[in-house]
Amino acid sequence: MKRRAIAFSGVAVASLVAIGAFAQQQGSGAPVDGVTFLGEPVTADELTLGQELYAANCASCHGANLEGQPDWKRRLESGRMPAPPHDETGHTWHHADGQLFTITKLGVGGVVPGYESDMPAFEGVLTDEEIRAVLAYIKSTWPDRQRAFQSDVTANDEDGS
Amino acid sequence: MPGPSYPALTRRSFLLSSGTAVGVLALPKVLHGAEPVKPAVVALAFDGDVLLAAGSDLMRSDDGGSSWTALPVPAAVLALATHPERPGRIIAGLASGGIAFSNDEGRTWEARSHDLPEGEIAAVTVAAGQPEMIYAAVRGDGLWKSEDAGRSWSLAMDRPWLDEVERDLLTLASVDLATGMGGIWIYAGTEMGLTRVPDCFCRWQDVQPGNAMDALVSGDAPPSEAPLPAGQPIHALASAPSAPETLYAALPSGVWTSRDGGVVWSHLADGFASAVAVHPRNPDHIVAALDGGLKQSRDGGDTWSALAAI
Repeated sequence: MKRRAIAFSGVAVASLVAIGAFAQQQGSGAPVDGVTFLGEPVTADELTLGQELYAANCASCHGANLEGQPDWKRRLESGRMPAPPHDETGHTWHHADGQLFTITKLGVGGVVPGYESDMPAFEGVLTDEEIRAVLAYIKSTWPDRQRAFQSDVTANDEDGS
Repeated sequence: MPGPSYPALTRRSFLLSSGTAVGVLALPKVLHGAEPVKPAVVALAFDGDVLLAAGSDLMRSDDGGSSWTALPVPAAVLALATHPERPGRIIAGLASGGIAFSNDEGRTWEARSHDLPEGEIAAVTVAAGQPEMIYAAVRGDGLWKSEDAGRSWSLAMDRPWLDEVERDLLTLASVDLATGMGGIWIYAGTEMGLTRVPDCFCRWQDVQPGNAMDALVSGDAPPSEAPLPAGQPIHALASAPSAPETLYAALPSGVWTSRDGGVVWSHLADGFASAVAVHPRNPDHIVAALDGGLKQSRDGGDTWSALAAI
């Protein structure tokens, strides 16, 4: 076996191990490393639920890959802003968990009184647990830097409330 | 527009405005409505103790406003920004579009406009805690930011939507007060008043008291507010670097101040104010362009003295 083939097979084995570990996590109620919501651990089951709920309720505006609407920094004819991305290119990771929860449940007017947005309030559409799962899923997609930044913002927000 | 207390067109101001008419034609900074006085100075800034004043020329004074010398900027300047941690650096927004940048107290200049769209630069500011981060307002376009002192630019945010219309930004101030979103605020003046955006650029919003949301949730009486006069353009905003909750604003009705980050405002000086700047170390030391002349206060606006004519 040539060196190149050995290297390939090594990568393949590592991938299989990772996939196996992921599969083991799926269907488990075990906490997922590095993801919390309002300081509480989040399980793999919740992330799966959150991903499904995101696809059904959020992706039509915020994008199947959390990429947001095209040209999202430019205002629509209506005067309202397009749906921003939820990945690291957007600003979602600047908001504390509590704010993200309030915006999702009550709409943007829940944190900025009188603000007009195309985003509906999800109160009555999603339960509190489902909103938590969606937001935990979004958080689980962020790179380490964004996750660490948002963790600090959340910690400061909790201190201040 | 309601009739604020515009100053009467005095003979002196008429002469001043006549004398600067050519300069004003070359400086299409829109000062909305039929204001009676065309300001000689459209932007002011401190670079340490040095005072900078932009009108038909960009002038500097090293002696507190007693004498002035012209700086060789490439075009008429509409907006100025400096930063206490970058002495000698002057960032100028040009009426012809683009940014002129000097690192040597204004002796030499280079263009730092790559990626910026066409359109006059009506406002510039430097992020209070990040001296390499510059924000610029492009008329008819939006708010742009540069993370590398102007070498490259990207769109940060569209213009604010106020009273059913997108409004141009006339002035910007980085205000070193926490947003709760891991950053600080950028305040902006428009022809329809004050607005602000967190530096994560999620949304333009009104200035609210810090506990306004708590009151809304609990049903308590909202905190007291005394906003700037409605419907008046805000020509200039300044946040004191050494006391960022202290703000100054230049309006057609004069110079105003807030000591609480823009919730409660009080009137400091009558006259048509076209520019205001605050000293980097002394929040009570301000200079304002009023009725075509320059005035200075060293006690937060209680008393004023005239500076030498430019």
